[in-house]
Amino acid sequence: MEKILEVNNLVKRYERARVNAVDGVSFSVGEGEFFAFLGPNGAGKTTTISILTTTLAPTGGEVIIAGYDAVKQAKKVRENIGIIFQQPSFDPQLSAEENIRFHACLYGVYGYRPTFRLMPKSYRERVMELAEIVGIADAVFKPIKKLSGGMQRKLEIIRTLVHTPKILFLDEPTTGLDAVSRRGLWDYINRTRRENGTTVFLTTHYIDEAENVDKVCIISRGKIAACCSPEDLKRTLEYDPTPRVCLPTLEDAYIEYLNKTEGSVA
Amino acid sequence: MTELTMNQGFASQSKAIPRRRKSGFPQEVNAVATIVARGILLTLKSPGALIMSLVMPVIMMGMIGGNLSQNMAGGLGYDYGQFMLVGMLVNMLFMTTSQGLSSLVEDRETNFTQEMLIAPVSRYSIVIGTILGSAFTAILSCTGTLAVGLLMGISIGAGQLLAILALSPLMCLAAGAFGMLIIGVVKNKRAVNMAIMLIPMSQMFLSGAIIPINASSGVLLVLSRLMPMTYCLDLVRAVVYAGTPEYGAVVMFNPAITFAAILSLTAVFLTVGTWLFARSETHK
Repeated sequence: MEKILEVNNLVKRYERARVNAVDGVSFSVGEGEFFAFLGPNGAGKTTTISILTTTLAPTGGEVIIAGYDAVKQAKKVRENIGIIFQQPSFDPQLSAEENIRFHACLYGVYGYRPTFRLMPKSYRERVMELAEIVGIADAVFKPIKKLSGGMQRKLEIIRTLVHTPKILFLDEPTTGLDAVSRRGLWDYINRTRRENGTTVFLTTHYIDEAENVDKVCIISRGKIAACCSPEDLKRTLEYDPTPRVCLPTLEDAYIEYLNKTEGSVA
Repeated sequence: MTELTMNQGFASQSKAIPRRRKSGFPQEVNAVATIVARGILLTLKSPGALIMSLVMPVIMMGMIGGNLSQNMAGGLGYDYGQFMLVGMLVNMLFMTTSQGLSSLVEDRETNFTQEMLIAPVSRYSIVIGTILGSAFTAILSCTGTLAVGLLMGISIGAGQLLAILALSPLMCLAAGAFGMLIIGVVKNKRAVNMAIMLIPMSQMFLSGAIIPINASSGVLLVLSRLMPMTYCLDLVRAVVYAGTPEYGAVVMFNPAITFAAILSLTAVFLTVGTWLFARSETHK
């Protein structure tokens, strides 16, 4: 499998900090892979994802995404990625469609037109089709502040996919969502992966969401504690927490790994 | 994932999405247009901003200017009303553009700055788009100022108004570049908001918008020469007063030099301010 993302000896020390937030991290992600980047709060997940998405400069090391250097060719990298931030990044005063239009035009997919009707037919059809799929067709022209948290998350995914990124970063995408919205969102993300072959880079605190990933990396105190398939990780469990009821979960393996590497699970 | 499903997906997508994206200069122009359009939309959707753009001229032009005109403008040797109207028009362009620019800082709160900074466009396009977007509100404020001026009985010729309108994009850009420098240097959000309010306010008094500064000396003289608005005001007045007997009393510098000074200051402030702003976002 060809590598779409390569991280070599990445280091980040924030200004006036005494320790490295990310301390010599190396890993890679294959094209089309579903990749989970897990770790407790403060382990360095968001710092790493910010460097990978070019919004934060690293102190040292190298990041190559889709063949481009994340520091020297940041603009090229940005053309190839999409990101769902931890916090919604909408303009709350604009409508859902206006936010999508703003994004599509900023990414150069379409030339800007002042109204939805004046936008090209392909744009209008695409937006309505995507809105239909995720079940927010009725809300497309409503202001963002009138949409529920679940709807906003779905809308963010629609918006990010409008420019067909090769790699989609999801930074804790389901935080604060109810069970129904979570399931709906994952159905859509899985469908996107299947249909477009999009590489997905996921960080989450809900370990069950990473149960079906191709590869999982655990970061603890800025260092990589483990990087393998979920099955291999589960095999390293020293005890079977629920031997007579069901098989060990990725969460069991994750917690045991963090305990081993003295990470805080709080 | 079957080969068939994947291919079907790509096929349906290629039909729906233009394969070739805009790139290079056309994409940067498109990005600027998009950000400008957002600025205009935000103004139109916010009744508060619209009301402010009309209330501010009443305070600045009607109350400050009106009182100065009635009580202190004797013996100037030229019509103070027109002098002040031109000053207030440029001042409104400056103040409103600077305040609009603070949306870049406010957007950090809603993470919208992230959404813009993650886009594959030049940081200069983002900044220029934001400046020109707030120029729309600034020009609205000018309409308010003009209306208040007319109500006060101050007259200004159509040709002079057109000249001011023609120069207004340059004035907004100069104001925005100065604002960008402030945002780039001052990182803290509260401090930025204070600076964005206080500096244009000081600039109004230092640069000769409402009070002539021909006889300023000492610290006030030095400060006035550091303010970009001093040159913008002088250039606009040079154009408005061209060929009139008051020209010598009102205009301080040679317009060609003023024009060059505005262009140089704008280019330097915009470059340094944008660089510092982009750096402060990525270097933490």
